[in-house]
Amino acid sequence: MAMTSNPDIVGSYAVGTRREFYSAMRTELDRSGTRMVRTLQTFGFAPQSFVLTISSTPEVIQFAPFEAAVQQLGLFGINADDSPFDAGRVESISRQFNPAGMMGVSAQTLEGLKMMGHDPETVFRGRVIWARPDAWQAVSRMDGVTARRCLLIGPALGFGCEQGEVHLDRWEWDIRSEQGELVLSSRLNRFEPVSGLRTGVMGALSGAACSCGNADTVVEIHD
Amino acid sequence: MKYPEFLDPLETASREFLNDLQDNAIGAMCRHAQDYAPLIRQKCAEAGVDARDVTSVKAFREIWPFIDKDDIRIFRDTHNDVGGGTSVTIPGLTVSMGTTSGTTGDPTPIPNSRLGAPEIGYCRDLWGIGMRPGDYHVHMMFTYRGGHRRRLYNELGVSDIYLSMHPAELPRLVEASLRFRPTVMNNFASPFLHAMEQYIEKTGIDPVDVFSSYKGAIFGGEPLSDRMKAVVKSWGLELYETTSLGDVASTTDCRMHNGFHAYEDLAYIEAIDPITTDPVADGEIGELVVTTLVDRLCPLIRYRTGDLVVIDRAPCGCGRVHSRFKILGRATDQILVEGRSILPREIMGIVENHSETRHGLFQIIRRDREMPELSIRIGYDPERLTGRADALKARLHDDIAGQIGVRTVIELVEEAELLKLGPPHKIPRVTKK
Repeated sequence: MAMTSNPDIVGSYAVGTRREFYSAMRTELDRSGTRMVRTLQTFGFAPQSFVLTISSTPEVIQFAPFEAAVQQLGLFGINADDSPFDAGRVESISRQFNPAGMMGVSAQTLEGLKMMGHDPETVFRGRVIWARPDAWQAVSRMDGVTARRCLLIGPALGFGCEQGEVHLDRWEWDIRSEQGELVLSSRLNRFEPVSGLRTGVMGALSGAACSCGNADTVVEIHD
Repeated sequence: MKYPEFLDPLETASREFLNDLQDNAIGAMCRHAQDYAPLIRQKCAEAGVDARDVTSVKAFREIWPFIDKDDIRIFRDTHNDVGGGTSVTIPGLTVSMGTTSGTTGDPTPIPNSRLGAPEIGYCRDLWGIGMRPGDYHVHMMFTYRGGHRRRLYNELGVSDIYLSMHPAELPRLVEASLRFRPTVMNNFASPFLHAMEQYIEKTGIDPVDVFSSYKGAIFGGEPLSDRMKAVVKSWGLELYETTSLGDVASTTDCRMHNGFHAYEDLAYIEAIDPITTDPVADGEIGELVVTTLVDRLCPLIRYRTGDLVVIDRAPCGCGRVHSRFKILGRATDQILVEGRSILPREIMGIVENHSETRHGLFQIIRRDREMPELSIRIGYDPERLTGRADALKARLHDDIAGQIGVRTVIELVEEAELLKLGPPHKIPRVTKK
């Protein structure tokens, strides 16, 4: 077979309302997944528990690693689209599979659940819910829900550990805060290197070691 | 390097080899299903069948019981088993749980292994269309089928461009097409085609340029209407229709466009009389029944799909030996009005001939199999309405009643209302209310 200089994957990331194509190799996503295990395992989900990922197809760059981490921990991944029109699937999966966690809940999912007559708090109760910034305030106020953050920082995904801190893979990404905005650079070989990407995400870095035991970078978010 | 014309040598295997393969594979799958799938085990017990007696396809057809969607639903509800007694999770082999579109109810779970039959089928199909290592492939799909785990195309040296199946993604599709110059796309569903038609009209982009690098695109979710076929052809894009082979595999037409190919190493297909369950000869109309030959996680055996089909096992002009079939409609979609059998496909061509309803969005109201009248809810585009809605309604009524020849009742709604009902690549074509 001929060698190819093309990427395996072309996904995308957003900065504000602007979306950019972003290319990567599968090996980059696999290794990110291996390192996301460090954050995901802090919850101690029982093997063969279900974990729902709510995302859009172009978010493959950010969520394929998370799905790889789910698989490595012996959990079963299941998916729904990040769209109000697919919120019925979120409710159905919640009812049928009793997932331990739901990653990537957004305002669109909340809106869709309400539109279809479902109470989001009932759907999410008893689970870890990783909420995107536009759903964070609502989810964090829900009773009986373990609310954690889901943060898309350019092509990177950070998410909350059991202790509530947002971790980002320290091998893969160098991150700093400039005037309160997170600026991302890649540290390792990537098909499309990232250098000083102003991500549009407002936050800071914590220098403290997280009590969950994961030494990955901790990002503090400014709401 | 010159690559082979067919990805898998099995695509052109002889009929004798395929028959031998099926004789061997079907017994192995029956034994696995009886051991691990509770619904199959129950059905076998009721029928007094032992999988060890399945020594050939002929023996299988003589003894094995049928199952259908109702069996799965009943088992699910009575046994608190979300897989309906047909799903098996095998740690290590099961990597995730996919779900069906859920057009008419709770989505049905389908366990995913590292490499599933639909992925194998689509890889062969796209290779047949002309995809080769070094090419870009537009993957325009929902996440619920298999998440972000697919990698077979990458392993072949093909780059996947991931796009959402949402009309708002159109500018991205255009940008990706011009920038990466892909050769194939899967899946270009009908709401997306309609949105693209409008986008081209509004922006004035040249679709022939946008799609110039494509050797073909797979279209699925709903039947392809004659009008859309012609529109897309004018863009210089060749569409290949696809559908699900009863949830055990994918099935797509080839460049001959003469029926869906059922890969016979992945599934065994047969047609039966939907009332008597007697076998129906190839070339005659019957209900499609499928049996997986490879899926150990969801061993659907002799599953009645509800699709009315005509099977053709003659070798195809594309070079493949595997059988083909044509779909006439779903048995459960069929209604009888004044003794006349009506399927949604018959309505499609009439509705889309009107400018305001050119997208062919409609639902047949079917409270019973036999109805006193043909009752249809039709979606129209308010921006294309030139006169009163009542006038459009009268035009549609006269056209449909005239061509179908039965008493007809029309309800008009804006297209957006019907699209809300979709998953969203298709809407339920038949509804009870």
